[in-house]
Amino acid sequence: MFCFIALLVFSVLGIFSATHRKFAKEAFDCVFRRITFRPCNTGFREKVRGIILVKLMKRSSFFAKVFNKYFELIAWIFFVLMIVSTFYVGRGAYNFYLYGNCNGVNEEGFCLFDPTGENNKISPVAPTCGLDTPTVDDLSLANTDLDKFFFIDNNSEDTVVFIGCYVCDFTRKAFPDIEKLLEKKKPNFYFGHLPVKHGSDFISSYDYCAREDTSGDYWKFVELMFTSDIENINDQNYLQEVVDKAGYDKSKIDECLADPETLASIEQNIFNIGNTNIYGTPLVFVNNKAIVGPKPYRVYKGFLK
Amino acid sequence: MNIKKLRKDFYFLQKKNYIYFDNACNSLRPDCVVEKINEYYKEYPVCAGRSNYALAEKLTTDLLGVRKNIAKFISAKEDEIIFTKNTTESINLLANSLDLKEGDIVLTTDKEHNSNLIPWIKLKSKGVIHKTINSNPDNTFNIERLSKVLCPEVKLLALGMSSNLDGVSIPAKEIIDLAHKNGSLVLLDAAQSAISEKIDVKYLDVDFLAFSGHKILGPSGTGVLFGKKDLLEKLGSFLVGGSTVHSSSYDDFELADIPERFEAGLQNFSGILGLGEAIKYLEKIGLKNIQKQKLVLNEYLSNELLKIDKLHIIGPEEASRRSGIVSFYIDDIDSHQLSIMLDRSAGIMTRSGQHCVHSWFKSREVASSLRVSMSFYNTLDEVKKFVDELNNIIKILR
Repeated sequence: MFCFIALLVFSVLGIFSATHRKFAKEAFDCVFRRITFRPCNTGFREKVRGIILVKLMKRSSFFAKVFNKYFELIAWIFFVLMIVSTFYVGRGAYNFYLYGNCNGVNEEGFCLFDPTGENNKISPVAPTCGLDTPTVDDLSLANTDLDKFFFIDNNSEDTVVFIGCYVCDFTRKAFPDIEKLLEKKKPNFYFGHLPVKHGSDFISSYDYCAREDTSGDYWKFVELMFTSDIENINDQNYLQEVVDKAGYDKSKIDECLADPETLASIEQNIFNIGNTNIYGTPLVFVNNKAIVGPKPYRVYKGFLK
Repeated sequence: MNIKKLRKDFYFLQKKNYIYFDNACNSLRPDCVVEKINEYYKEYPVCAGRSNYALAEKLTTDLLGVRKNIAKFISAKEDEIIFTKNTTESINLLANSLDLKEGDIVLTTDKEHNSNLIPWIKLKSKGVIHKTINSNPDNTFNIERLSKVLCPEVKLLALGMSSNLDGVSIPAKEIIDLAHKNGSLVLLDAAQSAISEKIDVKYLDVDFLAFSGHKILGPSGTGVLFGKKDLLEKLGSFLVGGSTVHSSSYDDFELADIPERFEAGLQNFSGILGLGEAIKYLEKIGLKNIQKQKLVLNEYLSNELLKIDKLHIIGPEEASRRSGIVSFYIDDIDSHQLSIMLDRSAGIMTRSGQHCVHSWFKSREVASSLRVSMSFYNTLDEVKKFVDELNNIIKILR
């Protein structure tokens, strides 16, 4: 049994080290002898046992003795642990592929394949006074009026709702994949801008006015906003250029910006988005499934029908 | 013999805190041997025996000198010395060149190294019969049994002069006399004995004798086959080609004289020169002194080992009959594990396994043994350290 366990363990370790590769080869020889009904007399088991014993012996004779006495049992324990950990690693890899996170979609916790948690990072929405901070389970489109979002009707059976802010790093990170999804898979698409960064209210006004005004191309405006440097977006003069590039009639936009109703409408839109129980951007709903944080393209694609 | 001073001749022994107890496999080489090899490659890295320029002639002369020294070392004539790669090649050369016919018998002991067993078993395809002479229970040679099995069909006795398994030597002279009376030839495998026993082929009247350079302080890839001149003349040719002929035509060739006819291809010049230095060094120390030191160490080690429960020494208990070798096994402890632990914990290099004598282990149903083979440069302190470490490990393993 030891040879079989060693073959598995050293095969994995052998991927990273030549010394363990040599052991894996010896273990294979031992296993091969066993399955061909020959005794495994290569001394492999004793070799490995001896090496470990000497290391233990140098630290504590007592532990070395115990290890030697219960060698078989310890080998079995490690085997079980290896099987369990292999299962979890496999599950983590599967989850990472599907959801961009080892622990499942929107789950927290360490992920070996995304150790810095890049795929889970969000720009947090300031909590509402007196209310508990919502969790992933609270996310829903049920109480949100999607008519107030920008909409691209592709006559698809899939629907993607993208909520983010122009000056938020993680929304900007997600945007290229969302755009790719829109181009390649052509789902019905909703976009809502949620200003989560302090001092970016005027950006919301430009966004609102660009969306309301039909003289220009709103999606081009959105693209320009997400692809421009954040520093530039924070400059009102630059936003005028964006409006111009997106084909808007500047005078109409200025008129909208000056209209006192604009701020009230923006407030209503923010409230409407808030009904999703959003706690950070980006937030994407693919066919009503909430996905928080910037995920790889394959994850969004995976939730399409 | 000042061992402390002698150890300074070995770079390896200065470098790290190793204890080398695998001398039956391969001896360490003194610096003079290594330097001689370097000298060849640096000063005259040329061909010998076939070119007329000065350096080639110098090399030819030096190699001839080595051949003479080796001949003197075993009391032979220089044209009775054939350079080979090692003992194994020497024996194979003989096995493939001797005129053995169907029904002829080759006798060996029951504890031969594979090098002196496989070449004879392989002759089965020619109808040659291989038989073994069983040793006494203490692994010593049973001369009475030999006299009983000798018959006219026995054409050759191929015997290890000193066993790599247990260090036990055979009564070579007595055996050779018996064999010759029977009309049988005798080959002695002197791989283990050449470093500590004075070999006098004239006195022994042995027909063939083989040994390796790497076990007598010489370089790897060097060996010697001695054969009586008249017998060498009668041997068939095995490996032929460059250096083995006087001349050749498209359909024939004329073999060179002995010993060159057996030395096919370009020789290991640097190795042979190194072997020459090794023999000079051995003669300087004296084989008797070497054997004496081995016995002192073996005496101490054997006495200490016999105190350990369930430990069995292979061969006779008396250390004096086992030269520098102590091969032992412990009933409840694996030899491989012991060897690995000795190495990893204290840098003590020993050999575990069946030591190329699988046949003996199989017939005795012994899995393996741990072999400690000591040489003249080993010290009593090293042996004491070995004993202490062994006892420590046994405590852990029991």
